[in-house]
Amino acid sequence: MMESEQQPDLSVFLVSSVHDMKNSLGLLSAMLEKMLADLSPEDSADYDQLAHMFYEVKRVNSNLIHLLAVYKLGKELYPFDPQYHVVCDFLDEVVSQAQPLIASSKVRLEIECEDGLVWHFDDDLVSGVVNHALNNAVHYTRSKVKLLARQNGKLLELRIEDDGRGYPPSMLLDGSSGRKAIDFASGSTGLGLYFAEKVAQLHRNRGSVGCIKLENGGAYGGGCFVLQLP
Amino acid sequence: MIDFSRQYCLVIDDFQGMRTMLRDMLRELGAQRVDIAASGGEAVGMLGNHRYDIVLCDYNLGAGRTGQQLLEEAKVRNLVGPACAWIMVTAEKTSDAIMGAVEYQPDAYLIKPVTAALLETRLEKIWTRKAALQEIDQAMQAKNFSKAVALCDQRLQYDRANAGELQRLKSQILLNAGEWDRAREVYEQVLAERELPWAKTGLAKVHFHNGNYAAARDLLQQTIEENRTYLEAYDWLVRAQQQLGDAEAAEQTLVAALRLWPNSPLRQKNLGELALKRGDRDAAEQAFRKSVVVGEHSVMKSADAYLGLAKVVGANKPDEALKTLGLLQKQMAGDDIRLRAKSAEGLIYQASNNPQKAEQLAGEVGELLQGMAGKPGSEASMEAASLMLATGRRETAVELLQSVVRNNHDNRELLNQVQQVFVAANMAEEGAALVEASRQEAIELMNRGVLLAREGKIDEAVESMYQARAALPANVRVLFNFAYILITRMQQGNAPDTLRADARNALLQANRLAPGDKRFNQLMDALAKLQASP
Repeated sequence: MMESEQQPDLSVFLVSSVHDMKNSLGLLSAMLEKMLADLSPEDSADYDQLAHMFYEVKRVNSNLIHLLAVYKLGKELYPFDPQYHVVCDFLDEVVSQAQPLIASSKVRLEIECEDGLVWHFDDDLVSGVVNHALNNAVHYTRSKVKLLARQNGKLLELRIEDDGRGYPPSMLLDGSSGRKAIDFASGSTGLGLYFAEKVAQLHRNRGSVGCIKLENGGAYGGGCFVLQLP
Repeated sequence: MIDFSRQYCLVIDDFQGMRTMLRDMLRELGAQRVDIAASGGEAVGMLGNHRYDIVLCDYNLGAGRTGQQLLEEAKVRNLVGPACAWIMVTAEKTSDAIMGAVEYQPDAYLIKPVTAALLETRLEKIWTRKAALQEIDQAMQAKNFSKAVALCDQRLQYDRANAGELQRLKSQILLNAGEWDRAREVYEQVLAERELPWAKTGLAKVHFHNGNYAAARDLLQQTIEENRTYLEAYDWLVRAQQQLGDAEAAEQTLVAALRLWPNSPLRQKNLGELALKRGDRDAAEQAFRKSVVVGEHSVMKSADAYLGLAKVVGANKPDEALKTLGLLQKQMAGDDIRLRAKSAEGLIYQASNNPQKAEQLAGEVGELLQGMAGKPGSEASMEAASLMLATGRRETAVELLQSVVRNNHDNRELLNQVQQVFVAANMAEEGAALVEASRQEAIELMNRGVLLAREGKIDEAVESMYQARAALPANVRVLFNFAYILITRMQQGNAPDTLRADARNALLQANRLAPGDKRFNQLMDALAKLQASP
């Protein structure tokens, strides 16, 4: 009788490979960022192509980061660390990190933040969610994106609104119905939304749980990504 | 804006490339003085020679200390003060970020890749926060708890950005000052807004202090259910379960905490002691070993783990026990450590039928005791006394044990331990009498001054308290009474100049020995009032 060959634990290789790819893409994205900074959109025909490469590299890189975080969250290995943050300062930091992408996209970004807003959340995780939503909005919008933070009752509401065509009806989410099934035909892995939802749900306070919403409308009449934290 | 040209910076990284990059980044921001270190060992030397304003430290430093262990050592040995901005650079967020104690957390974690812009924003943020808390820090360093609390209250009225930190700080100061009810108010206020694990644990500490161990336990269990990685709650749960007599549950809680974070020398050591108590020598050995291993590069290493390991393996493997004790003396310095190690060595020789070597060690311990500048601690005294009794040096042993009793006359648990030392030497009856006599002696010495003061003989009372303090230099209640009588004398005017400093020193020492005693803050306030009046 043949002994079946021992099946290696693939997850170990998957995790280490994702790590490796993430680091490699991080390097690539830094190189592209530098190249873009040295060029100006007017005098280079390659600029738009480079900007598109930059967007794709950033997108996949942030997907891999989310993948690792989701893995760690699932294994209860993620160091969830909520603290009080001044929301305006937090948004400034997120935007400054997304600046190269925004600059290369020619999209106008507006930030609107209620003064004196202080909230309790894990800044690394929430910045991952907002960053991802910003990247999406910058990609799908026509000309402008708005990043908005305000207190809504007992919730902190972060909104990323654009003037694009908005979400198709099948994607709209009101935060209570749960995530829809992954639609492979659309080319979306659903990872971004899954990550956002997990992050939202980690934030709890006195019986209330965070959630995400996908709406159409907002200030610019396009798609709105909404993150609500208790 | 920070003026970087005035900041003295240190970059610690084991990779040449990273060191250069971080140094260049600081220079780009305007820093003129940037030192670099390639290892934890090198960094400790440099931190000892200079007061740095900014430290950029890689979390992963290769062999030896980790970045976190380096930070702990720097804080424990006071190589960096509260004004220093310590930034940990990591490849990803690690569990240290949430598992460690608050007082040993860096000011920020920077996740690679680090950019100059991000570094600057983070430093600006750290500086703003430090500036906000500077006055409070100073009041705390001066042990002026009342002022520190007042400053917190002032700032809480307008500083929303730091409100969470200020409330935590305020509750911490109130606990240090023994103001349990006021601390409870802060916790309840915080919890009405948001269920934060530190506030829940704080409330449990108040329950614990009030003897409501079951309430403390329930609250802590709830805290852990909601915040699985909040280790301080586990530590207090262990204590509550022990008070409730549930040793098994306490051990399980400790095991759960260690599963989350195995690198704590202290918890591993505690686990060893719990296992030993229920007679599981194998489990105890394993835990003590682990404590020694994870503590190798840590300033938190525990002498008790080495001593515990030596004790557990001593019966069957005396050679290994002796080696462990040798290692202890290499790894840790100090009179008490040497005293304890040598006493344990002597007892192992005694037990393995080598009376000559035991005799030799007892002689060495005797010399050590004579040459010591201060008094040995309670554990060292009891362990040395055990060897002295085993080798027939009754007088030295009794003297050591009496001193422990006199200085801790109201600590029941410790008095029991002293009694056990006598019992082990077949001196149960005689020991009990000696313990009781020393206890009475201490009470009498302590009260004499207070009684004299009550009779209006205040100068005699002062003199009596000086005698009591000389006889019982580490007795917390004597120290408080000493300060109280001296302050009473000063309130009457025309007191000798030396009283003020003597009272203050006694109070500070009492606070070191027994933090969280309410009398400390009351007497410090009374002393401050005296200073304010002409």
